[in-house]
Amino acid sequence: MAFATVLIDGNNFYASCEAALDPALIGRPLVVLSNNDGCIVARSAEARALGIAMGVPYFQVRRQLERQGVVVRSSNYALYADMSQRLMATLEPWVEELEVYSIDEAFGRLHRPAGAGPGKGSRGGDLSAWGLALRRQVRRHLGLPVAVGIAGSKTLAKVANRLAKQNPIQQGVFDLGAVPDPDPWLEQVPVEEVWGIGRKLSRWCRLRGVATARQLRDLPSGELRARCGVVGLRLQQDLRGHSCLLLQSVVPAKQETCVSRSFSEPVTSLAALREAIATYLSRAAEKLRRQRQRTGTVTVFVRSSPFNGTSLYANAATTTLPLASNDTAVLLAAALPLAERLFKPHKPLQKAGVLLQNLQPVEQLQHHLLVPLPPEQQQRREALMATIDGLNRRYGRGTVQWAACGLRPAWAMKRERLSRSATTRPADLPVVWAD
Amino acid sequence: MVTESVAAGFPSPADDYVEAGIDLNEHLIARPSSTFFLRVSGDSMIGAGIHHGDLLIVDRSLEPRPGRIVVAAVEGAFTLKRLVRHQGRLRLEAANPAYPPLELSDADDTRLWGVAIQVIHPL
Repeated sequence: MAFATVLIDGNNFYASCEAALDPALIGRPLVVLSNNDGCIVARSAEARALGIAMGVPYFQVRRQLERQGVVVRSSNYALYADMSQRLMATLEPWVEELEVYSIDEAFGRLHRPAGAGPGKGSRGGDLSAWGLALRRQVRRHLGLPVAVGIAGSKTLAKVANRLAKQNPIQQGVFDLGAVPDPDPWLEQVPVEEVWGIGRKLSRWCRLRGVATARQLRDLPSGELRARCGVVGLRLQQDLRGHSCLLLQSVVPAKQETCVSRSFSEPVTSLAALREAIATYLSRAAEKLRRQRQRTGTVTVFVRSSPFNGTSLYANAATTTLPLASNDTAVLLAAALPLAERLFKPHKPLQKAGVLLQNLQPVEQLQHHLLVPLPPEQQQRREALMATIDGLNRRYGRGTVQWAACGLRPAWAMKRERLSRSATTRPADLPVVWAD
Repeated sequence: MVTESVAAGFPSPADDYVEAGIDLNEHLIARPSSTFFLRVSGDSMIGAGIHHGDLLIVDRSLEPRPGRIVVAAVEGAFTLKRLVRHQGRLRLEAANPAYPPLELSDADDTRLWGVAIQVIHPL
């Protein structure tokens, strides 16, 4: 029996999440800014229609946006993460297998019903009606618009999803596996935009005269293999609808965890750098505990601003722990001396981060003579971490934190136009008027 | 060959009767992914037992049928009313005679945002 692979993703996801919980934004042009209110990272359909470009630094267009009456929002990660989790839960029953690919997109797999396709490319029944029903449900239940691409492989599902968005007549759903002849559709896709092609392979394609996804699909396999190896071949097989890239329903255990941010203003004192590192490390340690992992290696890295005239300073320092840990206090004791070592009084820092590597599952028994704490004390530490994580989950990040992280730090992320955490914080719930 | 582990000691007779504590989320919310919380402001729904400051639980997956209390997006704000069929047409009514009804045209069903399923009112 034939399987179909689908790619479902949110349209303008961040902007749509904002509008889903705030009726004042419905139908209005809206943009969402990146960390520190840096660049435009999402635009509502109305903002796109005004010609506002993606990735533009906010300070360059601030005036223009004001003039055009565009609503501007800082990134509200708590809201987007919650809506993402709702989106994935809503998609789950629609497919037989779901691979959450990013915050706003997921691949799915389901049986394609038998059908009497008239043309050469058609191998089964049309799933467009299924896609439209799914789209309608997500819109109604969550207020989020999604696009649905349906085909025989992940790469083709990506293409179909793109076509669904580009052709308004498709109403956000396109089944490439059910059209009589997919070739004219694949002709529309420039080879650079084939999913996962990479710069090297796409440049080779252009030199070889291959300009579209259709041409790449029909290239002699032997030549592709000789020139581009198994990666190119796999991509081509996927374009031919022989699914090579399987779904990953089980996410492989993470090998490393990184938390880093740009500062809203340059950090020039050791005290501020210590606070920043302590904050990122607390975050990273919390992530580790959630993933039920411990880390064996702690790295701290810093970078100066490339724009301030002085020469660039970038450096990193690493320490290996005698015993893997996910205890914030233990990791702080390892990381803070590294921050001190990296700090240079005359190098204003623009970015810093913490990288935890050599991760091991908590379950892994550690045969080690250097056990730092007796077992009952160890258990108390673990209970303390669990309590802190619980409080922070429940009452919002930073409810309980290490004093080393500082209070109201000046370097903290700038989010001047942050919307309320309308789905995750009791004090931030939207108001419904009964008046 | 023995493959099962055997627990030492006498098993607790209470083990078979263990019940988890009552989880209000589970009790009040059938479909968490489409359920949202809103804070009520105003007294126009007092006749339906919904007071100023109450916590309203709204399920967006439910069909807004006449008789149900619904949240609608009207003029850029959420408003709470009862959906009513009146002389063959749908309209939104307050549960307080001091407030006039709001007529809905056919194109307005997209403004119906969700259906209120519970209200949590502190005493």
